[in-house]
Formats: sequence, C-alpha cells, structure tokens
Amino acid sequence: MSFHMNRRSFLAAGTAALLVPTILRAQESDIAIGSLTPNTGGGAPFGPNITAAHKRVVDAVNAAGGILGRQVRLFQENSETNPETAVRAADKLINVNGVCAIVGTFSSSVTLGVMPKCQAANVVQMCTSSSSDIPVADEKGLVFNFQPLSPIWGRAIGELVKSRGIETFGLMALNNDFTRSMMDGFIEIVGQDALLNEPFYYNAQQSSYRSEVTQLIEKNPQAVFVPSYVTDFTAVYKELYRQGYEGTVITTSLSTGPQFKEAIGGAAEGIVHGFPVPAINSPAYKEYLVEAGLEASDSVQHPFGTAGRDQLTTLLLAIEKAGSTAGPDIAKAVWEVTTGEGKTTVYNLADGLAALRAGKDINYSGASGSIEFDEEGMVLGRDFQLSEIRDGEDVVIERLEY
Amino acid sequence: MSAYLVSMATYAGFFMILALALNLQWGLTGMVNFGIAGFYALGAYTSGLLSAKAGWPLGLSIPMAIAAGFAAGGLVALLSMRLREDFLAIVTLGVGEVIRLIVLNEDQITEGPRGLRIEAQPFQSLMAPENYPVFYLGFVAFFVAITYWICERIRKAPMGRTLRAIREDDVVAGVLGKNVFRHRIQIFAIGGGFMGLAGALYAHYSQNISPEVFMPTVAMFIWMSVIVGGAGNNRGLLIGAGTVIMFLEGTRFFGDVLPWLDAETMSSVRIITIGLLLIVTLRLRPRGLLPEPKFTYTRDKIAG
Repeated sequence: MSFHMNRRSFLAAGTAALLVPTILRAQESDIAIGSLTPNTGGGAPFGPNITAAHKRVVDAVNAAGGILGRQVRLFQENSETNPETAVRAADKLINVNGVCAIVGTFSSSVTLGVMPKCQAANVVQMCTSSSSDIPVADEKGLVFNFQPLSPIWGRAIGELVKSRGIETFGLMALNNDFTRSMMDGFIEIVGQDALLNEPFYYNAQQSSYRSEVTQLIEKNPQAVFVPSYVTDFTAVYKELYRQGYEGTVITTSLSTGPQFKEAIGGAAEGIVHGFPVPAINSPAYKEYLVEAGLEASDSVQHPFGTAGRDQLTTLLLAIEKAGSTAGPDIAKAVWEVTTGEGKTTVYNLADGLAALRAGKDINYSGASGSIEFDEEGMVLGRDFQLSEIRDGEDVVIERLEY
Repeated sequence: MSAYLVSMATYAGFFMILALALNLQWGLTGMVNFGIAGFYALGAYTSGLLSAKAGWPLGLSIPMAIAAGFAAGGLVALLSMRLREDFLAIVTLGVGEVIRLIVLNEDQITEGPRGLRIEAQPFQSLMAPENYPVFYLGFVAFFVAITYWICERIRKAPMGRTLRAIREDDVVAGVLGKNVFRHRIQIFAIGGGFMGLAGALYAHYSQNISPEVFMPTVAMFIWMSVIVGGAGNNRGLLIGAGTVIMFLEGTRFFGDVLPWLDAETMSSVRIITIGLLLIVTLRLRPRGLLPEPKFTYTRDKIAG
C-alpha cells in the first residue's frame, strides 16, 4: 500500500481537523447546557439514568417552545468517572460549546476537578456528590449539590439500625470520600463502644476481599456495616457468604440494585440497606416513574436519575426566572425557584414555567426530594428508608422523615 | 474555541514530556516502563504537597518533583539488575500502582480520595487571569523544548549509541566493555525526573489532583504516543503525542454533529473510533509517523 505523508502535510491536516469544531458551536440563539455524566467507570450503573433524565427534560421543553423564547441545546459528555478525562470534557463544553452550566457530575473528584475551570468561566455546576470540600472550593457560589452530604446518610442509617436493637458492629468502607464520610456519620450515632473492630478502608477493583472480610468478622459482631458501591460490594458480599457470616449485613441501597441481586441471587436474603428516598407519594416522583417508563415499587428506583430530572428542571426554571444565561444570575435564581415558603409549589417544568410566566413565585419540589438549598448550595434533608431483601425483593422496614 | 485549543495544546505538552521520557527508557534503551502514571503522580503530589501544605515556593517545589522522580527512577532501575523486558514491565506496573495506592491511603498527608487542592500557579500574580492559559502553554512549551533538547543530546552523543546497543543486545554491549547496568540506572533516573516534571506541571495547571487521575490508562496513552509517533525518534514523539490528544479529543465532536446518537452509544462509538484510528495509523505507518532514522554507513569519506 502506498501512502505518503510528510511532516508539513501532516501538521496542516492536524490543524485543519482541530479547527473543524468552530462550526459546531451552538447557534447564538440556543441556550447551551452541558451534561457531564459517569456513563462508564465507577459511576456506570447510575450515569445512563442521569443522562436520559437530562435529555427528557430538554426534549420536553423544546417541544413546548423553549426557554426565554430560545431553544435549549444539550451537549452530553461522558466523564468516565475520571477527573482527568472530565476536565478535558468540561474544557470542551465551556470553551467550544459555550455552555452556561455543567450538570450531572457524580463523583466528588470529578465535581472538584472541573470546578476551577467552571469558576473561572462563571459556569453553574449541579452535581450529586458528597465531599464536604465542595462548598469550600466553590468561592463564587455557583455550585448546587442535589445529594445530601454523606455524613447525613451515615447518621440516618445509624439511627435506623440502632432502633432495631443491634448492639455490636463490625465496620469497613470502600476507600472513597463518599463512603468514608458515611462511616464517620454512622459511628457518631452508634458510638465507638459498639464497634468490635477498628474501622478500616478497602480499595476498589480488587478481585478478592478475603483478608478484609476475615478481619471484619473476626470478633463475630451482630451486624457489619459496609458503605460501598455495587461492584465492590458484590465481591465483598460473596466473601462474607463464603466465610459463613450469620449476622446482619448493612449497606447502602446503591450497592444492592438489580445488578447485585442478579449476581447474588437467593444468597442476598436478609441484607439490610438504607437510602435517602424521594417522598414516594410526591407527585414529582410519580411523574418521573411515568416519564422513565417504570412501575411503582418499594425499591429505590433510579436514585440518581431522579436527581438528574431535578437538576435540569431547576436550572431551566432558574434561567427563565433570571431572564439571563449568565452564571451568577442563574445561581441567584436557583434559590428563588426552589427554596422558601409561601410560594406556589410546582412538580414539573411545564407547570413551573406557566406559573413563572403568570408572574407567580414558585418553589419546585422534585422527584429526588423537596429540593431546598442551604446558603452553601447543598440540598437539605431528605427522607430516609431502610429496606430488607426478602425473596429477592426490597421490603421497606423503616422510614425516617425529615 | 481558541481557549479550548490552548488548553488541549497544554495537555499535549504534558503528554510530550512523558513521551520523551518513555522514549529515553524504552525507545532508546529498551527498558519497558508501564509505571508512568506512578512517576507522574509522584511529581504531581511532591510539588502539590510542598506548595499547598508546606508553603514552599514553586521555584523549589517543582525542582523537588523532578528530584523525586529522578530518585524513584534510579531505585526502580536497580531492580532491572536481574529483571528485563516482560519482568521489568510487570515490576514497573506494580510500582505505578503502589505509588497510587499510597497516595490513596495515606490520607493524613495526601488528602486521599478527596483530592488535593493546589492554589499556587507559577507567575500567577504577574498577569491578568484571562492571559494566564496562554502563558501557561508557553511555560509548558518551554519545558518541552528543554526536555527535547536534552533527549536529542543524549541520543546523538556516544552515550546514545551505547544505549541503542544495550537495546539491541545487552550482552554484546557488555562484552564490548560498556557498563550496561550503570547506563540503565542513569537513563531510568533521567526519564523518571522528566515524568516528575510533567506531573508537577500538570498539578499546578489543573489545581486539583486526586489518585483517580493517575490510573494506568495514562501510561497507555503515553505508550500510544510513542508507538504512533515512532519509537526512538524524538521528533516523531512530539507529533505522536499531539496525534493521540487529537484522537482522544477530536472524537468528542461526533456527538455534536451526530445528535441522534445518545450519550451512551456516543461514548462507546468514541472509544471504538480511537482504537480504529490507532490501527489505521499503524497499518499505514507500521514504524510510526516518523520512524527512527536507521544508521547508514557511508563509504565515501573513507574511500575518498
């Protein structure tokens, strides 16, 4: 095969290829929004739900005539749950597509990783992350977190299992910020004395957790609490089962979704798991189930997908309210459309827009929770639910309401 | 758009320094290094921690990152006394992961999984923030130039010939009286130092580093750069690193022109395309875009 390319023509072709995207910038009349979700990597079980929820909200609003008389254009990128890739994707969203907000980041390291770029360009961020560094790093007040910080999860799960009369615990957690802070919250509630082992962390992506599990159940605690994600928890649970542990296994509902139940089957019987749940009776959650084509059930369905719907709905309502796509204006309007009493409660974008256009003050109540922010942009408390796996189904055993 | 190109060029700069370092170790000397991400992390965290936690000026912390990479490189090369090729590859991969896991687990020092925030940027106070990205590109380009110059000097010097001899057959080089072991340690240390430098430059550019950044995939990107560019040829590598960044980033734009692909399909298509582009490049240019020039013996001078 003959193919000749000298250095000059190669460089020329390279430069030309890089310049092509100039024509891809959104038309000036469109409102550009970036969706940066974990579609592969550690967040892969959750990312696609978030992506789909973002897209549904945008499609619906465009069909109904858009925001501020302009169409909304969603640019979707995959963060690969990796901050190195995510920063470059965010760079493209900000500098090429000209987005006014980046929504849907999931792991704290990604949210924090893209933050310097977003702050410099006055781009609003909406995430479901847990690190308590987020409000600290957010110097301009442009970040909104749609997930309660994880110490709150740990405390809630602690309260719920304590009321079940369990007295001794073994503790280990996946080594990431989310699960570690959850463990701290849990210890706060059950107390150091209830722990039979020194709590420790394990690393993700190991093929076996034999020595970790041996250490965990060495003193035979009544229950073990393992804050985790689904991939590593599956391996940890297999090992617990193999070693014949008979106490109660407690974890988050993130770890016990359909993927886990499929892998473990009947051996999953009796696992107790907790999660901040949408008010199941909330109209917004019911609408979400219809939009996503799901049946109502006791299980927590699409935990992050519901947050995805709320992120984009809140963002678009805020843009309509602010009458502008400048980051600081949007950020200010986010509080106005979500937080505060004595306003008209709305459960979806269409109703919200109608109310705003009729000159009313609104308070959006979402599918993932009632969506009220504190002054740092962190979402306030959500209902918590503890479930147990019986016959392969999640059965609600207790609920904590805020 | 131009801001985007500037930042991609900056990333290409980090890749270029890493690729030049790998070329010294593998392209020239034949020592396989799969632990690039570890050396990169070592540099990033050394400079990041010294400036963010110990308050050292960058004029000291960046050289310390180079020194840390240099020392680590030398130590790893000691292992090569008894290990070569595939065994060395496994050891270096292990070293890279060990460094990452230490950073992940020693959270009292490194902040572990929550990531380290680094405020300091070189010469930040001297210019307006909007000009800073362009300045930083120049700053990185300056270091790429220095690294390139040093690598070229080594390649052309008598030492370069020795290194190529070691690469082709270390026993022959040893029989000819060359100290194979010492050369290996030297070159691995120098390469490690460059990787440390790249890490420090990355840390102060991104201002937020966490262990997840330094997964072994980083090493794969650098290997791709060296193989695509042409192992053994420093100029080829610069082009190779640029090409790899172009493949990685250019494919992002598919989503914008093919709106009917949903984000999930899109990200798979993107990764498939990157693979295809690499295969096509190597099918058409099996020895890389700019292959290593073969040494040719010209008779004329002697015969004349």
